[in-house]
Amino acid sequence: MSEFKVHHRDGDGFSVIELKGYLDAHTAPDLETTFQELLGDRKFNIVVNCRDLTYISSAGLGVFMAYIEDVRKNKGDIKLTNMSPKVYNVFDLLGFPILYEIYKDEQEAVNKFKQSKKV
Amino acid sequence: MFRLKRLLYIGVPVLLLIIVFMIDVVRITVEFDVGGILYLRELAVIGALVLIYFFVSSGSRDRGKAATKDIGRLLVVVAGTTVLVGLVQVLPGLGFSEGGPTSVPLNSLTVFFGALASVGVSIASIVTLMTVRSLVFHKRKKGTKRNFIIYLAALIGCSILVLPFWADELSLVSTTFFVAAIVMIVVISFRQSWIVFLSRREKIYSIIYSAIVFITFIVLSLLLTNRTFLNKSVVFFSSPAERFVLLNSICGAVYFGMAFISTLFHLPTAEVYERKQSELSSLHNLSRLVTQVFDFKDLVNTVTHMTREVCGAQSAWLEMIRDVKDKGYREYEAVGMNNISEDQIAVITAHGEYSLRKLVIESKKVLLVDEVATDRRTRHMKQYGIRFGSLLSVPLISHEQIIGILHATKDVEYGFDQDDIDVVTTFADHVTIAIENSRLIAQSLERERYRQEMMVARDMQRRLLPQKFPTSKSFEIAAMSEPAMEVGGDYFDFVELENGRVGVVVGDVSGKGVSAAFYMAEVKGIFQSLSKLCDSPRELLVRANHTLIGNLEKKAFISLLYVILDVKHATLELARAGHCPMIHISGNEKDMIRPSGLGLGLTNGEIFSNATEEKTILLKKGDLCLFYTDGITESRNEAGEEFGYERLVMLAAEIQNQSAREIQDRILTEIKAYCGKAAFGDDLTLVVMKWLGT
Repeated sequence: MSEFKVHHRDGDGFSVIELKGYLDAHTAPDLETTFQELLGDRKFNIVVNCRDLTYISSAGLGVFMAYIEDVRKNKGDIKLTNMSPKVYNVFDLLGFPILYEIYKDEQEAVNKFKQSKKV
Repeated sequence: MFRLKRLLYIGVPVLLLIIVFMIDVVRITVEFDVGGILYLRELAVIGALVLIYFFVSSGSRDRGKAATKDIGRLLVVVAGTTVLVGLVQVLPGLGFSEGGPTSVPLNSLTVFFGALASVGVSIASIVTLMTVRSLVFHKRKKGTKRNFIIYLAALIGCSILVLPFWADELSLVSTTFFVAAIVMIVVISFRQSWIVFLSRREKIYSIIYSAIVFITFIVLSLLLTNRTFLNKSVVFFSSPAERFVLLNSICGAVYFGMAFISTLFHLPTAEVYERKQSELSSLHNLSRLVTQVFDFKDLVNTVTHMTREVCGAQSAWLEMIRDVKDKGYREYEAVGMNNISEDQIAVITAHGEYSLRKLVIESKKVLLVDEVATDRRTRHMKQYGIRFGSLLSVPLISHEQIIGILHATKDVEYGFDQDDIDVVTTFADHVTIAIENSRLIAQSLERERYRQEMMVARDMQRRLLPQKFPTSKSFEIAAMSEPAMEVGGDYFDFVELENGRVGVVVGDVSGKGVSAAFYMAEVKGIFQSLSKLCDSPRELLVRANHTLIGNLEKKAFISLLYVILDVKHATLELARAGHCPMIHISGNEKDMIRPSGLGLGLTNGEIFSNATEEKTILLKKGDLCLFYTDGITESRNEAGEEFGYERLVMLAAEIQNQSAREIQDRILTEIKAYCGKAAFGDDLTLVVMKWLGT
């Protein structure tokens, strides 16, 4: 089974989570930990960069569901970016594009956060 | 057979000796030597002694096992003989004429008692020889047997050479043999290794026995070498016997003299040896126990019992320590208490600031209190009436964690020496392994119980899936579902509706295993109740979402595909809640039917119902519809590549003319072949519907 890595970095007023590899029931707790850290630090503007994400299972999708409510309650958002077509298809099948903002590029998501800040 | 042999060994010599006696009675009055009768007489004596040897040796089978017992038996025989000899010595009316070169008995009574004494000392010599042999052979070395055989050869050679027929010519050779025998006696006298293996008690007995046997042999040797009654009678009886008895007496004197001295020197180390011995056997027993005792209680009882044994402790007990992870504290439990009460332990291990338990746990090292009464860590015990001399506490450490403490106490102060500490520490290591072992076994039993429970759950879940599929002239249905683990989150079901309509549902709960299985059961309940109330697939999904939202964990959701087959109108209505699209093969047309829709439990009411579409399809004769879960399309081969939608669609198109059952079997076979050795990572569900036309 291919590895999964989660890494996050902070920008100006937003945080970026980078996902790499295979996100399923076994690796989902790693991502949960990262979300918990960010929320614990009261960082609610979160961009999830899926450029190197090769697979996501339903348990992986569940992680986003687990935190979106808290994030939005705190006037933040989880925006997803850089998905491969295959990964996008999984999100799309479940109707995630209706619930989440999904962008082609990380910068677009970052810009969105900056705009909303100005407003 | 054995009895008969022994009877022969004793009967024949008695007979021979009577004959010899009768010859001798004649011999003392009349000088005669007819037809070599004296040769035969000497042969009869030797023969009788050899047979007696066999008689004695056949009676003692357990040689070497109990050295002290052997010496004790020898003592009885030799002392008995000496007493007999002494009695004969002082009997009145016996005597020898001192005229010729050899002394001749004055009367037949002298002959009789002389022969009796001679046979007595000969038997004693034989027993001596055998006892010495068994002791010398106790721990054989290369030369041991050789040396003993050389001694035997010299002994027999010397004896035979003094027969009156050639005694004069060969006296020098005989003397050489005699000296050789003496040398060998000295050599074999250094083989005293049996002493080492005696217990202290046995050593003391052995010293006493050896001393008495030594003195007795000295007396015998003196009697034999001086012109005493014994010397005269044995020489008259048989000159080889005289040599034989003399040499063996010297042998006995030297050997047991040496034994006496050696044992005396070994006495101070006896206790050490004994203790090492018992430590060794205890450790051995314990390692055997590790593999045998599964019961924790039995194990700890044996452990404390053995602890007392190995270091001679007055009392011993074991304290188990368990980390209670959730609550962040430790639990202590005294187990296997041996000769100590629970109240006493409570005072000893945990009292105020000087808690032995705390000291051991913090240092993870052996704790030794030499003077319990005065040591500041333990002197409080006096107030509670606990009076120990010394105390030893050894931690049981497994994977750098203290799992318990083994305590031992003694009455005396400074009772535990370095040896005790070493052995209890080693013992503690074994105990740790034994305890870990018994815990592992308990764990594996528990695991087995869980496995059984899971098998029950698996059975239960199977029964949640429909056992009977709808049948009709208009369509064929084949369906299967296989969880990746014991239970899973996949679901399919059928429902017969009004006006010849049939509902088909396929669903997938997020995640896997037990949590998914519970939601799957919940979905079944919701579907069964809503399907009769809802006219359209979309309506069912909206109401199902409404029911589920708030009842699911935040991160859980369910995808569902619901289809209503209208047999009368040859139509198929479907709505999709985030589920895999339906594959529709109609002649050359291959379609993935994917009306928009959201997974159940993702969001509430309005967004969901706005997002959910419904589609209607007209069915033509021979049309094929596939409903499945992502386990099918996401099956991976060994290279990690997914089976994918395209392969599934192409395969379905290729085999669309086969029956529903055949199509299902073929798809599963292809997927299994595709995966090869790679294991199925997800639950698999496939429902095949073949439209036969109205």
